[in-house]
Amino acid sequence: MEDPQLEEDQMNPTKRIRKLTLGATALGGLALGAAMPALAADSGPIKIGVIGEASSVAGASIINAAKLAADDINQAGGIDGRKVEIITYDDHSSASDAVSAFKRLATQDKVAAVVGSYISEIALAIEPWSGRLHMPYITPGAASTKITAAVHKNYKMNKYTFQGWLNSAFLAQSVCDFGKDEMVGPYHMKTAVIMSEDAAWTKPLDETYKKCLPKVGLKVLDEIRFNPDTTDFTPIFNKIEGQHPDVIVTGISHVGVRPTVQWHDQQVPLPMFGISSQASTSTFWKDTNGAAEGVLTQTGAAPDVATTPKTMPFAKAYQAKFGDSPSYVGYAAYDDVNAFAQAIKRAGSTDPDKIVAEMEKTKMVGTTGTVQFYGKDNQYAHGLEYGKGKVTGLFIQWQSGKQVTVWPEDVANGKMKFPSFVKLTAATH
Amino acid sequence: MTAIQILIDGFVISALYGLGAIGFTLIFGVTGVLNLAHGGIMVIAALVGWDAANRFSLDPYGAAALGVLAGLIAAYVTYFVVIRPIQRSKRIPADETEIFILTATLLWGVMIQEGMAYLFSDNPVTMRPLLPGVVHILGDRTPVNELMIGVLCWVVIGLLWLVVYRTRFGKPLLAASENPRALGLLGFEMSNIHLFSWTIYGILTGVAGVLLASFLGVSSASAGGLTASAFSIVVLGGLGSVWGSLIAAYVVGYMETITAYVISPQLRPIPALIVLVLVVYLRPQGILGRR
Amino acid sequence: MKTILRSRLLWLMLPALVIAAVGPWWLSAYYLGVLTMAYYFGVFAMSWDLLFGYAGMVNFGPTFLIGLGAYGAALLDTYAGAPIVVCLIFGGLMSIIGGILLALPALKLRGAYFGLVTLVAVLLLRYFIVIFSGFTGGEIGMMVPDILSIDTATNYEYALWFMAASALILVIISRSSLGLILEATGQDPIAAAALGFNVAKHRLAAFCISALFSGLAGGMMVFYSGTASVGTVIDISIGVQIIIAAVVGGRRTILGAMIGSIVILLADELLRPLGQLNIFVVSGICLAVIIVFPGGLLGLMHRQREGA
Repeated sequence: MEDPQLEEDQMNPTKRIRKLTLGATALGGLALGAAMPALAADSGPIKIGVIGEASSVAGASIINAAKLAADDINQAGGIDGRKVEIITYDDHSSASDAVSAFKRLATQDKVAAVVGSYISEIALAIEPWSGRLHMPYITPGAASTKITAAVHKNYKMNKYTFQGWLNSAFLAQSVCDFGKDEMVGPYHMKTAVIMSEDAAWTKPLDETYKKCLPKVGLKVLDEIRFNPDTTDFTPIFNKIEGQHPDVIVTGISHVGVRPTVQWHDQQVPLPMFGISSQASTSTFWKDTNGAAEGVLTQTGAAPDVATTPKTMPFAKAYQAKFGDSPSYVGYAAYDDVNAFAQAIKRAGSTDPDKIVAEMEKTKMVGTTGTVQFYGKDNQYAHGLEYGKGKVTGLFIQWQSGKQVTVWPEDVANGKMKFPSFVKLTAATH
Repeated sequence: MTAIQILIDGFVISALYGLGAIGFTLIFGVTGVLNLAHGGIMVIAALVGWDAANRFSLDPYGAAALGVLAGLIAAYVTYFVVIRPIQRSKRIPADETEIFILTATLLWGVMIQEGMAYLFSDNPVTMRPLLPGVVHILGDRTPVNELMIGVLCWVVIGLLWLVVYRTRFGKPLLAASENPRALGLLGFEMSNIHLFSWTIYGILTGVAGVLLASFLGVSSASAGGLTASAFSIVVLGGLGSVWGSLIAAYVVGYMETITAYVISPQLRPIPALIVLVLVVYLRPQGILGRR
Repeated sequence: MKTILRSRLLWLMLPALVIAAVGPWWLSAYYLGVLTMAYYFGVFAMSWDLLFGYAGMVNFGPTFLIGLGAYGAALLDTYAGAPIVVCLIFGGLMSIIGGILLALPALKLRGAYFGLVTLVAVLLLRYFIVIFSGFTGGEIGMMVPDILSIDTATNYEYALWFMAASALILVIISRSSLGLILEATGQDPIAAAALGFNVAKHRLAAFCISALFSGLAGGMMVFYSGTASVGTVIDISIGVQIIIAAVVGGRRTILGAMIGSIVILLADELLRPLGQLNIFVVSGICLAVIIVFPGGLLGLMHRQREGA
């Protein structure tokens, strides 16, 4: 039992952990019954940790997609013959639970890398630990620009963190581009009100909205930020209507069902577009009893649109195995596990610094586009690259219980339609 | 226009708060139990009703009925599994029963919340409106369902009044809230009275959960917040006083609605919380509390 | 009887402390991390037990006191760059002020009414932090520039000795005349006042002591994890966990609260492989414990010894 442990320790980057794990082999296993002696790092399966809340639709998507990615990698022979093993922990969407799960993955389960959480607050809490423990980490959904700003500012400490999905600034840009093509163009809309939940990821989102919406011809009349605990949206819709905009631009992810259902039940005559992350999940129609009709959201990929050759096979396999289609973080999590696996293969080891170096060289056709990360000199260091030929995302709209892709035009498979209570030629002032 | 909107929204929200709180105060008045799993029971009714509607393609009324039934069952389980063992335990000193019931129902509430999250995810869900569409009242656009919910709340409250004050089942209930020991001496079987009040409690709370899900939506994560809000209203109104709770519900409901419309939706709960602290401090027995 | 018990407990505690102190030699870094958190929770729960077990005050808002200490320390560190010790003392002072604020209603109110005030205090503090998110980081929480140590073992020892010292002081206080008078006022304030005890003064003292330890532990936890966030030091769910730990461990024993915290946090971690159901299972076990063994874990030990 002694020898493999020593080898493992020599692989380990931090002297501190080396010293402590030595003690752990001697007594820990006996004392607590759970401290299993770790396997040597150069044989046996390569472990990848996954953190997500199985009770939330997006969190479940992360876990399922990561397992599917591991299955696919293993079917193709694994990483140089070694199987990929996924170890998952539930963080109950709490930062402290996520951090303790992360520490457990790093120090107890000895994973090679961690994929976890779509919530920016949680990713920001994990980031310093990824630096302290030298544990490569990627978030498949957290969009705050603070995550990558920290990598840029203190590369040496934070280089182990990657952002596996577009950051808020790019998300906002893609919403503005859509607004120009589909709202200002055909309907001659001139004014908008921003309605965003108060959370880490919407701060850069709203800032970019306020810059890019006027550029595409939508004057921003007001920015309403509300507490994610809000249950009654009547006063908010009431206030927005009082300002007579042509359209509402959304930035919501922690909430989704309540504003959508109340928008529908109160027959608010304004269309909404923007980010409404929960609307990207296949259960959203059921959760809202069909009030989602006409709701638009930006998302990573759609199950029936071949963004890349990998998109549809993944979505089909996911649906066959788990019964519903993946949410946007599902696509990203699948890509992230693959990106890690390829980086480990190229590195030829699970040494964290080598993995990070190889991750930086990633250029991989994933399910949402070509996955690449910005370099350390970019302000979005280690963030997912945005743009044509890379990843852009697309817009879907709920129509009669189905998600129809309406933008960009080259992949669209339907036209926009709104429920009858939405007045598209709404009076301008 | 805003004034009318505030009037209508405040009325419905307050009615829902009231209905949610009455069961809580009733069970305290009659059996002396502060049930901190209260929000959890509302959540069970809402989620089961919503799930049944999808699973069996039920109409909104059928789903609501199943939801209320689930609430009733949850109330019975709370009583038989959590509360009665503590009340009857010989190892727990009588003067400490209260803290044990508080802790046990707190734990039970956590279990309900986690269990519901496991079964139904923590996504908020809304039940289909009982009546779809909107009406215009003095230029104000209001969903019919909202009005319907306000009216239903008051119908249920009216029925409760009839049962308690006008039937032979209700009389012992009233007496028990006045002086349980005397009632026991008169030969009434207290356990029957307890069971009866838990039945009423389960129905009231189930209805409140289902209506809340139809109006604002409910998720497993709402459980704690719902308990806190019922608790505040009940203490503000005076523990054990049904009418006090109703008045308190309207005070809180309108203060929140006015704050949300006139000041900012962000600050919604704050003025009500401050008033609550002040009232409890200046008049600890609450608005209509005895003592 | 009581003195024998006390000394026996002490005898049991000493070797336990020695075994714990050499933890870094036999525990993995991961469990050291879990125990570090558990030790801070232990201090929270012991402080709560002083108020509940002895003074009879059902405080639903332990996180009001903890949060004030944690955020007080974090804000001073972030905006004034003060040394950690100064920040901790400042946080402790903030908690004491909070304790006095809570004690004011406690002099008049009892039972559920007092419980509600403490609950509302937590809610208000939470909203306050969210509304002033420009300074406090809001829901995201704030990162503090300084941390106690990056070394797991050092952090562990800090937490352990802090808890041990707190436990000793709190046990001594609870067994002193102050503790006895508190117990008397908790059970029957009128009788206690008739006997000539100043109920208000003693209750105020209890609140200040409880607040001081809660606040210090909250501050230490901030400098351990490097962040102060609503989810880790203020959320009602944290308060619930503290109350449950104290009751499951055995109320009115101080040390029981400490044992309860450690057992529950360890159970939480050991059951983490259950995934999303771990909290459900831990809560279920706790519920069973308090229904079947109302004396809690420590009470169970007493009972066996009494029987023998």
